[in-house]
Amino acid sequence: MANAKGRQSAALTAFLIIQTVAAAFFVGDAVGDLIADPTGPHSIYEVFVALALCLGIVFGIVALRRTLVRMRDQEAAIATASGALAQVIDSQFSDWALTPAERDVAFLALKGLDVAEIAGLRGAASGTVRAQLTRIYQKSGVSGRAQFAAFFVEDLLGAALVPT
Amino acid sequence: MAADPRHGPAPDLWDPLVRTSHWGIALVVLANAVFTKGGSSVHVAIGWIGIALLVLRLAWGLVGAPEARFGAFPPQPRAAIAHLRSLWSGKPGHYRSHNPAGAMMVYALWISLAVVIATGLAMTTDSPATIADREAIVTSGDWSTLAGTSDAGDDDAQDEHARKWVKEVHEMAANLMLALAVLHVAGVMVESRALRRNLVMPMIFGRRK
Ligand code: HEM
Ligand code: HEM
Repeated sequence: MANAKGRQSAALTAFLIIQTVAAAFFVGDAVGDLIADPTGPHSIYEVFVALALCLGIVFGIVALRRTLVRMRDQEAAIATASGALAQVIDSQFSDWALTPAERDVAFLALKGLDVAEIAGLRGAASGTVRAQLTRIYQKSGVSGRAQFAAFFVEDLLGAALVPT
Repeated sequence: MAADPRHGPAPDLWDPLVRTSHWGIALVVLANAVFTKGGSSVHVAIGWIGIALLVLRLAWGLVGAPEARFGAFPPQPRAAIAHLRSLWSGKPGHYRSHNPAGAMMVYALWISLAVVIATGLAMTTDSPATIADREAIVTSGDWSTLAGTSDAGDDDAQDEHARKWVKEVHEMAANLMLALAVLHVAGVMVESRALRRNLVMPMIFGRRK
């Protein structure tokens, strides 16, 4: 999504550059004709085209700025949403009275790491991690790993995370 | 400090218009100062591209993205000196656009480019296409066709004097701009080191977070 917008702003910039360079060459040429024959039909036609080119540049600038601002707003919204999710998870862990070690393991499990990976990361034995996971499932009242993850997804889908 | 609109996180990536106009202008200046023959159709055509890029960037400075606007990097000589001092003492502030010293450099570069362009335009009455036509005539050897054009060589002495003067300014401003550009690149290096932050990457592809 951010990438599509990035491509859009790059395309708009390329368009703007080409149009401005073309306008500079056209206006430069038209000024010469204007000096030679200010009221001739050729001059009037060129002034008209020059104005149209400049108007196009103005529209291009406005469109580029809009795209960039919208891109930034989206990034900020996503950051807020992920911040809000982290908050929800955090307070839920507190409700379940997870110990600091269990919190860490629970977070890693939510991130999708398996028992061996969590053990590796924490420098603990697999058996320890397995025992901790069992305690976590008990405290949160779920049957296992899949349900544990689903708990938060449900939260995400069910209620607005970002206070509006 | 928080109330100062100049402070804040520096851009991870300058917007595409700032980036393209920057490298475009750098190429234009390099090409015309080093590679093209002064006054040739190629020189003037590249100069016109420079005009377009400069005008577009200045328009963007009025109505563009927040950190690209002039208001985000106002010319403040005193703040510039204070910033240079802070580089010495090792505690430079972070700015969300160009730092005050960099801002002075940016304006100096733009002004010298504008002088080069203005004097260049003053020396030429024709578009690059017309100059190219004339060059073709000269190459073909039939000089008679040139009679009556601005190159006919029947200007009076006063015109000749004024032209010499304008040419002098054109070359001086071009050399000044090159010297400033060298200083500018040195400044970017020093600042990157002092802030422990690569300033060049945001001008090219940006830093991935
Ligand atoms: C954009 C950056 C530019 C730079 C760095 C630049 C640099 C120079 C330099 C160093 C010379 C003298 C070199 C020589 O005589 O061979 C020169 C000559 C000249 N430039 Fe430029 N120039 C620029 C833009 C322009 C523009 C925009 C125009 C015109 C629209 C222009 C028109 C001329 C002309 C006509 C001469 C020949 C002067 C003479 O010999 O009578 N230049 N330029
Ligand atoms: C003739 C050559 C050059 C000219 C005329 C020039 C001019 C400028 C100008 C006018 C700006 C302000 C950009 C804007 O706000 O639109 C700028 C910024 C910048 N330039 Fe250059 N430049 C040149 C060469 C270079 C080179 C070779 C480098 C690479 C080392 C470079 C690196 C930068 C950087 C990193 C910035 C952003 C500084 C910041 O973060 O505040 N420039 N330059």
